[in-house]
Amino acid sequence: MADSSEVLDHTTPPGIAAYAAYLPAYVLDDNRLDPDGPARPGRSRSVAAYDEDPVTMAVEAARGLDREPAADGHLFLATTLAPYDAKTSATVVHEALGLAPGIGSIDLRGHRAGATVVDLACRTRSVGAAADVRTTRSGAPDELAQGDAAVAFVGGDPRAAAPLVRATRTVEMLERWRLPGEVHDRIWDERFTAELLVGAATEAVAEALTAAQVDAVDAVDVVVVSSSNARAATALRKRLGGDGADATVEAQTGFTGAAHPGLLLADALDRAEPGQLLLLVSATDGADVTLFRVGDGVREARGAATVADQLARRQRIGYGRFLRWRGLLDVQGPARPASAAPAAPPMHRRRSWKYRLEGVRCDACGSVTTPPGPACASCGSLDGGKPVSLRDREARVVSVTQDRLTTMPEAEVALVVADVDGGGRLTAYATDVVAADVAVGHRMRPTFRRLWTTDAIHNYFWKLRPWEEDTDGE
Amino acid sequence: MASRRMAHDVAIVGMGCTPFRDHWNSSADDLLVQAVRECVGAVPELDLADVDAFWVGTQGSGMSGQTLSRPLRLVGKPVTRVENYCATGSEAFRNAAYAVSSGAYDVVMATGVEKLKDSSFSGLTAVFPPADGTDVDWTAPASFSLLAPAYQRAHGIDDRELRATLTAIAVKNHANGALNERAQFRSAVTAEAVEKSPRIAGPLGVMDCSGVSDGAAAAIIVRAEDAYRYTDKPVFLRGMGFVSGSGAGLANDEYDFTTFPEVVEAARVAYEQAGVVDPASEISLAEVHDCFTPTELVLMEDLGFSSRGQGWKDVLDGRYALDGALPVNTDGGLKSFGHPIGATGLRMMFECYTQLRGEAGERQVADATLAVAQNLGGQPGSCVAFVAVLGNELGPDPRTGRGAA
Repeated sequence: MADSSEVLDHTTPPGIAAYAAYLPAYVLDDNRLDPDGPARPGRSRSVAAYDEDPVTMAVEAARGLDREPAADGHLFLATTLAPYDAKTSATVVHEALGLAPGIGSIDLRGHRAGATVVDLACRTRSVGAAADVRTTRSGAPDELAQGDAAVAFVGGDPRAAAPLVRATRTVEMLERWRLPGEVHDRIWDERFTAELLVGAATEAVAEALTAAQVDAVDAVDVVVVSSSNARAATALRKRLGGDGADATVEAQTGFTGAAHPGLLLADALDRAEPGQLLLLVSATDGADVTLFRVGDGVREARGAATVADQLARRQRIGYGRFLRWRGLLDVQGPARPASAAPAAPPMHRRRSWKYRLEGVRCDACGSVTTPPGPACASCGSLDGGKPVSLRDREARVVSVTQDRLTTMPEAEVALVVADVDGGGRLTAYATDVVAADVAVGHRMRPTFRRLWTTDAIHNYFWKLRPWEEDTDGE
Repeated sequence: MASRRMAHDVAIVGMGCTPFRDHWNSSADDLLVQAVRECVGAVPELDLADVDAFWVGTQGSGMSGQTLSRPLRLVGKPVTRVENYCATGSEAFRNAAYAVSSGAYDVVMATGVEKLKDSSFSGLTAVFPPADGTDVDWTAPASFSLLAPAYQRAHGIDDRELRATLTAIAVKNHANGALNERAQFRSAVTAEAVEKSPRIAGPLGVMDCSGVSDGAAAAIIVRAEDAYRYTDKPVFLRGMGFVSGSGAGLANDEYDFTTFPEVVEAARVAYEQAGVVDPASEISLAEVHDCFTPTELVLMEDLGFSSRGQGWKDVLDGRYALDGALPVNTDGGLKSFGHPIGATGLRMMFECYTQLRGEAGERQVADATLAVAQNLGGQPGSCVAFVAVLGNELGPDPRTGRGAA
C-alpha cells in the first residue's frame, strides 16, 4: 500500500482564496419537554429557521465570497440532507450565486464530504460549500450536540491558507447512518467507533507531519478537530493539544455534519495569524488531515461576519417551536390550502428573478420594476432595460402586516412591502424576526429561503430579514 | 382618449338578490335560478324569453356562459361569463349595460353568483395559473391590512384611534345588516365583540372582515327611453367608470398604501359622466367595497366623501351611519350582508335600486336621489375598481345640459 500523504506542488499552489461561514439565527439551549424538569445547562445547538435547508444556507454562506472559481472550476455542495434525491441540489445554489454556466455543479454526500469539499475546492479552484440541518429524535442524548450550519470556500490563490500536505485514511465502519428518506441518524455504540476514528486520525496526522517534515505536533500553531463522534473529537483534541477553540464553537453549535470541518476551519482562520501552521483533522468514516500555512491575506479573505460574531448575535428559540419547525411536533394550523407548487417552465424562464433577485432598470426612465416584466411599471416603456441585482441592497419597509392564517409552522408571519435602495419594490415574507416587531421604516436585507414545499417541489425565493450592521470592521 | 357616457342612457327596471347565507342546500345553479326568477318576477311585463342577452359574473363557481344557460336551460341565447376579481358582479353589469346601450339588444340581464361554502377553508381561496412561486401567498385580509399602518403613518393617528375607527365601521355595517333580512349576519355587534375577535392579519380581527357566503343577484337593464314601459320607478345609470390597475403599486416604489388610485380614477370618470361636482354633498348614499374595515375608511377619501386624512374623524363622527349625512353600506355591506364574490357588485346595485325606489323600509334613506355603487378586487397596489352613479331620475346630460329621455 502506498503512503496516502501527498506533498503538494508548490509551483502552482492552489489554496483557500476566500471563505465564509453561515450560522442560522437561532440557538436552542434547552430541550426539556417538561419545563419544570431539571435543567441540563451547558450545551446549545445551532438551529436553522423553518425556511432554511442546506441549499439556502449554502447560498447564504457563499454569497459573500469575493472570488470567482476558475473558468473550468465547479461548485461542490456537500450535505447529508440534500433537499432532493436524484436531482442535483448544487444547481440551485449555482443559479442563486449567478455562477457562469460553464462552472460545474456537483453534489457530495455523506459526513466525510465535509472535509472532501474543502480539499476539492482548493485542488480545482472551485467553490466548495457544505451545509447541513441535523435532527435527532426528541430527547436523544445528543439532541443538543447536533446543529445546523453552512460554510463556503473558493479555491485559488492561497490568500487565506495554503495546504502544505494532506493525508487520509478510509476505514469502513458503521458509525452514523440513515436510510434514504430518514432524517435522524442511527448510531452505533460510540465507544467502538471512537476507537476506530481516533486510530485512523492518529495515523493520518503522523503521516502528514512526517511528510511536511514537522517534528512534532507541538510545532503546529493551530489544531482543529472535527468528528461525527464526540468521544473521538474529545480524545483527539486532547492528544493533539489544541487550544480548545474548536470545542468551544462546537459546544455552541453542536456537530454540524458536512459543514463541521469547514465551520471550525473558518472559525480558526478568523483568528489565525499569517504564517501560522494550521492542522485540520476530520475524523468520520476514517480520517482526513490537511496541514495549512495561513496566508498573508487571511483577513481580507473572510466573506462574512466571523463565526464568533455570528454565534453572539443568535436568538434563543423555545423547544416547542424548534420541534414544530422540524416537523417533530404536528401542530394544528389554520384551515387554509397549501401554497401552490411552482411550475418548472416559469421557474426556469424567470430564474434571474427567482434565484438572483434581479429586477429590470428601464432604459427609458431609469426606474426599477420588480418583478421584471415586459413593461416598465413607472413609464410603461416596452423597450426593455438592464437587469439590476437587488440581492445585496437595503430595503426599507413601506407597510407591514402579520398573517395569522399562515400555513408556515408559525403562529404568525410578517409580510412586508419594502422599497429597495436604488429602486425597486419587494413584496416579501419577513424572516428571522418576531413578526410583531417589524415596523414601517425598518431596514431589511434579502435572504434566500425555502418558502414552502408542495407536491414534492421545493419553492425557493428571497425573503427579507432585519438589516444588521457588520460589527467586526468589514 | 375618452371614457364617455354611453350613446344611449340605460336603466335598471328589475332586480333580484338571494339572501346571502351559508346555503348548504343550494348550488350555484340553484342560487342563480332563484335570483333570476325574483328579477324577472319583479317585472310583470317581461318573461325570461324576452331577455335578449345575458351576462354572468363568477370568480370561481363556473366556467363560460353555460354557468347560466345550463341551469336555466336557455335556448338560443348569448351568455357571456365575466371575471374581474371581486368586482366581477359589476363587470357583468357594465358589459350588459354597454350591449343594450349599443342597440344590439333591447333587454339584457346581468347576473352574478358565487358558491363559496362548499369549501372547508377559512376565507377565500383561488386557483391561479402555474407560476414561478415568487409571489407572496397573501390572504385577502393580510393584503388589505397593509392599508392600516400606512394610513396611520401618513395621517399621524395612533393605534387606539385607528382601532376605534375600524371598530366603528364594523359596528355600523352590522347595525345596518341587522335591519336587512337578506343579510348574512342579521344582528348588531358591540365594539367589544369586534375588538375581542380573533386576530387574523395585522390589526384585523375576524370582525374586521367581510362574510364568506353564498349568493346570487340579477338585474334587467333596458335603454332609458324604454324604461317606463317596464316600471314606474326605473333606476338610471348616470355614470360609470372602471379601471384595471397596472399593478405598479407592488412593482415600483411610488405607491404609499393610503389610497386606491384605481378607485380615484374610476370615481372621477363616473362623477364626470353623472355631472357630480361635489360627491360629499350630492350623493345620497353609497354602497362601497368594505371587504375589510380599513378598506371602507380609505374609500371614504378616495370617493371624495371625506378629505384626505379626515376620513377617520368623519367615521367616528357618525357621518356615514344610517342617520348620518351620507349613509354608507345601508344594507350591511360586504361586512354584514356577506361577500359571494361574483354577486357582490350586483348586490350593491340592488341596495341602490331599492333605496332609490324608496323601498328600503327601516333602512330607507330619506330623499335618496343619487347613489354610488363602488366595487373593487385585487389588493392595495394592484387592483381593479368600479364606480357607478345611479339616480332615480335620468337627470340632465352633463354633455348638453339638457334632460334626456
